[in-house]
Amino acid sequence: MAEENITFTLPDLGEGLVEATVLEWQVAVGDVIGRNDPLVEVETTKSAVVIPSPKAGRVVELHAEEETVVPVGDPLVTFAVEVAEAPRAGIVGKVPTEEATPRRRVRLKPPTD
Amino acid sequence: MTANLAGDVKISYADLPPQAPSGSVPVLLLHGFGSSFDMNWRATGWPRALESAGRRVIGPDLRGHGGSDKPTDSGLYLPEHFVADLLRLLDELGLGSVDVVGYSMGSRLAWALALTAPERVRRVVLGGFGPVDALAGLGEHEPGAGDTPFDHVFRAVSGLPGNDPEALAACARGQAADPFTVEPGPEGVPLLLVAGAKDTVAEGAADLAGSRESAFVEIPGRDHANAVSSRVFKQAVVDFLAD
Repeated sequence: MAEENITFTLPDLGEGLVEATVLEWQVAVGDVIGRNDPLVEVETTKSAVVIPSPKAGRVVELHAEEETVVPVGDPLVTFAVEVAEAPRAGIVGKVPTEEATPRRRVRLKPPTD
Repeated sequence: MTANLAGDVKISYADLPPQAPSGSVPVLLLHGFGSSFDMNWRATGWPRALESAGRRVIGPDLRGHGGSDKPTDSGLYLPEHFVADLLRLLDELGLGSVDVVGYSMGSRLAWALALTAPERVRRVVLGGFGPVDALAGLGEHEPGAGDTPFDHVFRAVSGLPGNDPEALAACARGQAADPFTVEPGPEGVPLLLVAGAKDTVAEGAADLAGSRESAFVEIPGRDHANAVSSRVFKQAVVDFLAD
């Protein structure tokens, strides 16, 4: 398995909110966390929320200090995630229909259960 | 998320299973004034914290809030009506006894539930709550028109999407009509109090804990609005409710 770095930005928290204050990180650089594990606690003018992790992976970098204000869309955290290698041709004449392209994806909203 | 009829007012609630069955009693989460299960508890990461501790979570939207019916008659918001809703909900789910975690107004109702039906409540956590009457003086002006901590809360929540300011004003009046008193308190039900160090709504929480010979956990640096999501709060509750 190869690794790829993916950066997660502060999602749109709705209600026209344009920024949030980082209250407390629930993870540290080097932590290996699961999808939906608590990632960071942020506060807006309306409420405090815990943003769950959009990915399973290893935390590579935290982009915001606690007590600082982060605009929606700015980087929050970078993960190293495992990505599948490009699929090989099958033994019995099965040919992959498309190239496996490890695409860079930035999730704009936290996953909902 | 399901909605069921529980008496005269329809109550919407969440019933979330634990990650692994543990045999522990379920945890009933009671949100604060002007909030809802989703806003007060789900968005702040509580189901995850409790489910991973093996707990089933029951999360109603209290009458006048969230997906539940929102009558505008203040007489329908006396604490006894909330308690009746909760007991009907426990009956409907076939639950004998639960642990109850409240926040703010939800704490006041958790106390009332434990007082009314101590056999249905194993342990109680009162979050963001103190013995000072947050609604004192409400009769003199419209809710939100003054400068008390409660007025600030009212102004902050009455404009939130899904809230009905008329129902919330009725709810505030109904609660104010039957103020909280320290005596009588629930007997035989262990209590834990938790509040942010800067929570002005929960003034006196440590004194209340002392008078009930209960533990008090203060969350450093947090106020009434941002204490709920704190990891310190969740850990204190998970530990207190562990078998």
